[in-house]
Amino acid sequence: MAQPLAKKDDDRDDEAEYSPFIGIEKGSVLQEARVFNDPQLDPRRCSQVITKLLYLLNQGESFTKVEATEVFFSVTKLFQSKDLGLRRMVYLIIKELSPSADEVIIVTSSLMKDMNSKTDMYRANAIRVLCRITDGTLLTQIERYLKQAIVDKNHVVASAALVSGVHLLQTNPEIVKRWSNEVQESVQSRAGLVQFHALALLHQIRQNDRLAVSKLVTSLTRGTVRSPLAQCLLIRYTSQVIRESGQNTQTGERPFYNYLDSCLRHKAEMVIFEAARAITELSGVTNQELTPAITVLQLFLNSSKPVLRFAAVRTLNKVAMTHPMAVTNCNIDMESLISDQNRSIATLAITTLLKTGNESSVDRLMKQITNFMSDIADEFKIVVVEAIRSLCLKFPLKYRALMNFLSSILREEGGFEYKKAIVDSIVILIRDIPEAKESGLFHLCEFIEDCEFTYLSTQILHFLGNEGPKTSDPSKYIRYIYNRVILENATVRASAVSTLAKFGALVDSLKPRIFVLLRRCLFDSDDEVRDRATLYLNTIGGDGSVGETDKDVKDFLFGSLDVPLANLETCLKNYEPSEESFDIDSVPKEVKSQPLAEKKAPGKKPAALGALPTGPTSTIDAYEKLLSSIPEFSGFGQLFKSSVPMELTEAETEYSVNVVKHIYDGHVVFQFNCTNTIPEQLLENVCVIMDATEAEEFSEVASKPLRSLPYDSPGQTFVAFEKPVGVPAVGKFSNMLKFIVKEVDPATGETDEDGVEDEYQLEDLEVLPADYILKVGVSNFRNAWESMGPDNERVDEYGLGARESLTEAVNAVINILGMQPCEGTEVVPNNSRSHTCLLAGVFIGNAKVLVRLSFGIDGPKQVAMKLAVRSEDETVSDAIHEIIASG
Amino acid sequence: MLLAVLFSHTEGNILVERFHGVPTEERLHWRSFLVKLGADNLKGAKNEELFVASHKSVYIVYTVLGDACIYVVGKDEYDELALAEVLLVIISSMKDVCVKPPTEHRFLNKYGRICLCLDDCLEGVTGELRER
Repeated sequence: MAQPLAKKDDDRDDEAEYSPFIGIEKGSVLQEARVFNDPQLDPRRCSQVITKLLYLLNQGESFTKVEATEVFFSVTKLFQSKDLGLRRMVYLIIKELSPSADEVIIVTSSLMKDMNSKTDMYRANAIRVLCRITDGTLLTQIERYLKQAIVDKNHVVASAALVSGVHLLQTNPEIVKRWSNEVQESVQSRAGLVQFHALALLHQIRQNDRLAVSKLVTSLTRGTVRSPLAQCLLIRYTSQVIRESGQNTQTGERPFYNYLDSCLRHKAEMVIFEAARAITELSGVTNQELTPAITVLQLFLNSSKPVLRFAAVRTLNKVAMTHPMAVTNCNIDMESLISDQNRSIATLAITTLLKTGNESSVDRLMKQITNFMSDIADEFKIVVVEAIRSLCLKFPLKYRALMNFLSSILREEGGFEYKKAIVDSIVILIRDIPEAKESGLFHLCEFIEDCEFTYLSTQILHFLGNEGPKTSDPSKYIRYIYNRVILENATVRASAVSTLAKFGALVDSLKPRIFVLLRRCLFDSDDEVRDRATLYLNTIGGDGSVGETDKDVKDFLFGSLDVPLANLETCLKNYEPSEESFDIDSVPKEVKSQPLAEKKAPGKKPAALGALPTGPTSTIDAYEKLLSSIPEFSGFGQLFKSSVPMELTEAETEYSVNVVKHIYDGHVVFQFNCTNTIPEQLLENVCVIMDATEAEEFSEVASKPLRSLPYDSPGQTFVAFEKPVGVPAVGKFSNMLKFIVKEVDPATGETDEDGVEDEYQLEDLEVLPADYILKVGVSNFRNAWESMGPDNERVDEYGLGARESLTEAVNAVINILGMQPCEGTEVVPNNSRSHTCLLAGVFIGNAKVLVRLSFGIDGPKQVAMKLAVRSEDETVSDAIHEIIASG
Repeated sequence: MLLAVLFSHTEGNILVERFHGVPTEERLHWRSFLVKLGADNLKGAKNEELFVASHKSVYIVYTVLGDACIYVVGKDEYDELALAEVLLVIISSMKDVCVKPPTEHRFLNKYGRICLCLDDCLEGVTGELRER
């Protein structure tokens, strides 16, 4: 620890070079702590021992329960000393030792005495210690002292009480809330810090009462708040009120905007920045509102304080995501930050410039970034790579410069996540910019020649296999792929074999040479490689083992698996080896939605599905068996889809009901799962009366009531409706649970003879378009899209209006359609202004349907969407458009 | 939320630390991260020159004072400017206690006073009533 130091110091010549804690050891310090028991206390000696104890604790040393208790009891004796310094050390060590509830009582009276002491320092610290170690019981005893302390004329004492109140609000809120009046008085204190603490506590007390917070903000914004810290808090609370009010004043202005604007002229930089940030984060902020905030942030960019520069560039970076044009005035200032010593600032400046730059500045920006990249850590580099990707998609004509840049940094040193980010970016650019394909594939080929990451090599090889054969000269990629077979590990070699096969399948001219290469692979040392080579040689060689035609071969090589992997895994686990081989057609294709969330009252049991038959591997099979066993529904045909259970009652209700919608071609059956949660009641003849006034296409044809519903024993009742065959009819139903209720003696279990008719209102339910689509994904969307063909394609554009974000718009459309997102496209990257989402499903009538959604969002958050639908049936494509148009 | 305040020697040894709401298993990571941050950036830095960084949506403001490196870590309402204010208060307290930018020896000699001052700072007490 004590190392000789190079710096000169006037004291150095006089001091011996030693540490006071050298060789310190817990056992000996605990021995030394016996001085606390001396009748004649030496304050200086005791302070030294406490210092050593603190040092041990700060070095990670821990005391056993026994040791801590002994030290604590010894320390309490130090209250006898009147020495001020020692008393403060005592307060500190008590907090560090954190005595248990039964130990606290020893020191309570001493601390309470100190709370009423004439010495301000004693009062303040005693309050802090007591509030740290006390529980609710003691708190009620000392409450009046704390209330007095809050309005104490000494601001140290007042602050101590207020800050303690903030901590205590977490554990004893009902007690602290009683101090509102005193805290309110402290908000008007002339001492800045007291005002700050009082405002924080008052807000926390009232935070669940929107009106109270609004009144607090209104009164304070009109008055004078002296403390800059309190001003910052007030700005944040004002932002919260603006967000929650959501309405403009009669003059059309945003409420409290004038206050925020006035804070931009405050003398404290902290307040100015807080106001600027609050303005930039306003919902639906206009350019006119933004301008003064961006002006002050621009000034901060040139500050000599790195904290201010960082704060400003970070805020401008966020603004650039939604209002890039508003930030362009700051471009010159930000360009000078690229060479800032602080790499966080430099990275933020670059990523902001990448968002706000125009097409003509791209080349200049790339030159500046090239030198910068070697100076920063991988996590910053990934941020820059993602920003470059977005820039390239924004300016596709600049793909050459940006692709060259990405490929050059791909060749440099870097970790796995960094390289993956670059590869993903190149793949996205190849996918979205057709002109960039050849150069992008070439860069990827060069990369895999010297790639240390197996995951990336296999990812690129797979991509090459899909895209390479479609280029103008596929043969130039063969060398790179075959080199992997010779030089790499088994995983990469196997992947390369598959890629070679894909080339052979699609490019007839290359087939003979591919055969030669694949035959060499038959001698590989790895089983997987040899197996794949054998399989592909037979497949492409046309021995009939995989289909008869070229199309069959291509479907095998490029086609999607057609079943979800999770379902396949479950079925394979359940398969028992027998003479009958495993049949992939038996794997259910529907992707299971998330199960219904648990009811809010954890004490109550959720409404069960009743006695479902055991054995079937999927829920839909179970439903099918259940419904076909009911004579009224057995003639409805094949069950298309069953929805997830949807609650029709709130938590903590007497009767809990959820509904499952079973969709057939010409019928819909509603299954109501009911649970009686009242032990003193037995329900009989339970049925649901459904009003279909708002569902004109539906007509009720059958119902099956539930004979008996005892306590805590779930049961089902059904109602079936007829609808036009093959038509995705929609409608809203209001529901009433009707039953006869009989009293039950809980002690004896006897039920009354007579019952009373009663009814119970349930929530409405809707049949939606999404109910007619099964979520069936595809693993390779592009192939599936191309194989479906454009004959039944329908394309149209829609305006979705103003939305909170692109993510919200994408999720809303996915929910309306009820289709399965593919290839992870349901996730919208942060800061995106455009996004493509791929959906797949099966429409009622077993028609496969694929959807391509292209979203774009502009400055005022108006979202436009282009919908392209391909299906096996043109009426289905039309139906999907109809759903969106009316949704 | 103010997550941590840490004092270390310029060589990397931890002198004083305070964590709030940080699980024990994460503290080791924070210690090594902060010490490395200081080792990379504080060489040749001037006394009281503020540095700022962010790591996993958390902000760090740090500086050097004599032989001691001081780090404050926070998130949410304790953004970089609030942390800078906290750090300035801590620096001011340190200067009150040690008079000059402390050497390691002086720091360890005043260890108890420094712990008290840190406690005062973190509990929001102003400088007037602290004793020298």
